[in-house]
Amino acid sequence: MNTPHAETNSPADHTLFTVHAPGVDVEAIVRDIEATVARKMEEGVYDDARVARAERSNLATLQNRDEFLDFYLKCLREVTLINISDFEIRERRRAWAPLLVCLKKCIWNLLKFYTYRLWSQQNQVNSLLVTAVENTDRKYADKIAALEKRIAALEADRPPTSTGD
Amino acid sequence: MTSLDPSRPTATNPPHWAFITPRFSVQGTIGGAETLIKQLALHAVQAGQRVSLLTTCAEDHFTWANTLPPGRETVDGLEVHRFPVDEDRDLDAFYRAQDAISTGRQVDADTENDWMCNNVNSTALCEHLHTQGATYDRILAGPYLFSLIGRAALVHPAKTWLIPCLHDEPFARLAAIKHLFASVQGVLFNTEPEQQLARQLFDFDPARGAVVGMGLDPFEADADAFATRHGINYPYLLYSGRREPLKGTPVLLDFLAAFRARTGRDIRLVLTGSGQFDPPPDLAPYIRDIGFVSEQEKHEAMAGALAFVHPSLNESLGIVLLEAWLARTPALVRAQSAVLRWQCQASGGGLWFRHYPDFEEILSRLMDDPALRTQLATAGRTYVERTYHWPAVMQRLESALQ
Repeated sequence: MNTPHAETNSPADHTLFTVHAPGVDVEAIVRDIEATVARKMEEGVYDDARVARAERSNLATLQNRDEFLDFYLKCLREVTLINISDFEIRERRRAWAPLLVCLKKCIWNLLKFYTYRLWSQQNQVNSLLVTAVENTDRKYADKIAALEKRIAALEADRPPTSTGD
Repeated sequence: MTSLDPSRPTATNPPHWAFITPRFSVQGTIGGAETLIKQLALHAVQAGQRVSLLTTCAEDHFTWANTLPPGRETVDGLEVHRFPVDEDRDLDAFYRAQDAISTGRQVDADTENDWMCNNVNSTALCEHLHTQGATYDRILAGPYLFSLIGRAALVHPAKTWLIPCLHDEPFARLAAIKHLFASVQGVLFNTEPEQQLARQLFDFDPARGAVVGMGLDPFEADADAFATRHGINYPYLLYSGRREPLKGTPVLLDFLAAFRARTGRDIRLVLTGSGQFDPPPDLAPYIRDIGFVSEQEKHEAMAGALAFVHPSLNESLGIVLLEAWLARTPALVRAQSAVLRWQCQASGGGLWFRHYPDFEEILSRLMDDPALRTQLATAGRTYVERTYHWPAVMQRLESALQ
């Protein structure tokens, strides 16, 4: 981390904006961090709905990063499905607690009949949309890869041409 | 012109510089670019230059009402001339044109003309340059975004240097702005990425530009004073400035909320400055909004922070970043900000993140590694002391103007 640097400008050396000030090689630290992050992404450490939500205001700046789109689609998959399962019904207030729990269970059973149909349909729509985005992304990625391969083959067949004529 | 000509610069009669900026305030609030030009002008006076500053009678950057009287005053040896802003602006036409340009799509010449003509202008200031311009040896005008500056710069382009404070935004792509950059004698940039942006947008010849920036006076700040005063007994990140989407504050709030939820670690956010913000509900109890503070208190808040976060994308120079380094605090910026990332690379005083996973990894390392924090902070302070001390800045300015 304490990388030595040749540039040790004195205050009199006014005109230089030295890249890599003496002391810390931040480029190396960031490279190391990016490598760690790439490994953790592979391991699924960031496949988390909270990460997908956190990226909502950062997405516009990541449009041109291919590797990030794959990661983001994985995160999106995590937030697609609304949890419609039953859950434990509790009551914080001590007085009348058993009665209140029974009342809540009764209300939930009535609501469930309605909400189950609604949210299960919403889950289907969300899943289909994410699948469509994934397929579109894959289709265009394949097309681009095929075109790049074809260009490389065509360029290999041709003798190199000089530029700047 | 003979050697007896009183207007000719000599050892006892130094060259006369005129700085032009839309607003000037002795103590009140003005924008970052206007502050930069004010400071350059004041330090030019201290360096022994003859300096005038031409500005408007406006204080408010929304209304541009002429609230100050026109005329001259002297501020710390700086001769300030105030001129009224033209009051015949067609604001409807201006905002229509501004909205069209803001979309980023190419606009026609009429729309561009509407925007320029109904922008902030001062015919009186340009008249002054027409009649008195010969008395100035160098004219320095900025920032680029105001028609007032564009028009004033083109009165005597051969002796005018632009201080654009250029951002990568739709307004920078107007034909009039390209013409402005091509017409002036030279351009003074704040950072190298800003100069590269001018090259990319306008095919600007680097030989006509120079990187000057703004100086800062070193200070010492008590790292415990701020926490004691506000009863803070937890590690915190600091952001100082306007809270708005363009400054990237929503990204900071979302990332910190996710960090706390995912890692379970208690790191909080302290904000100074102004503007509304809308934090995720889970994060709201862990934000301390201090609002406007004095420079000393801001520096103390910086000194006590685990790191200073600057999530903005469009900057021509991160002055608060330089201040944070002087306060011996490392910085955290977004990789997508070419200028702030360049400042961190050049100084060794900060790290940059592309997305949330980077943010989580970097913040975890900073929390776990006090030695790393100290190394980054020390490198940052050394860099600012070396590169942004006023004598160095004034020497760069004088070299650029020769």
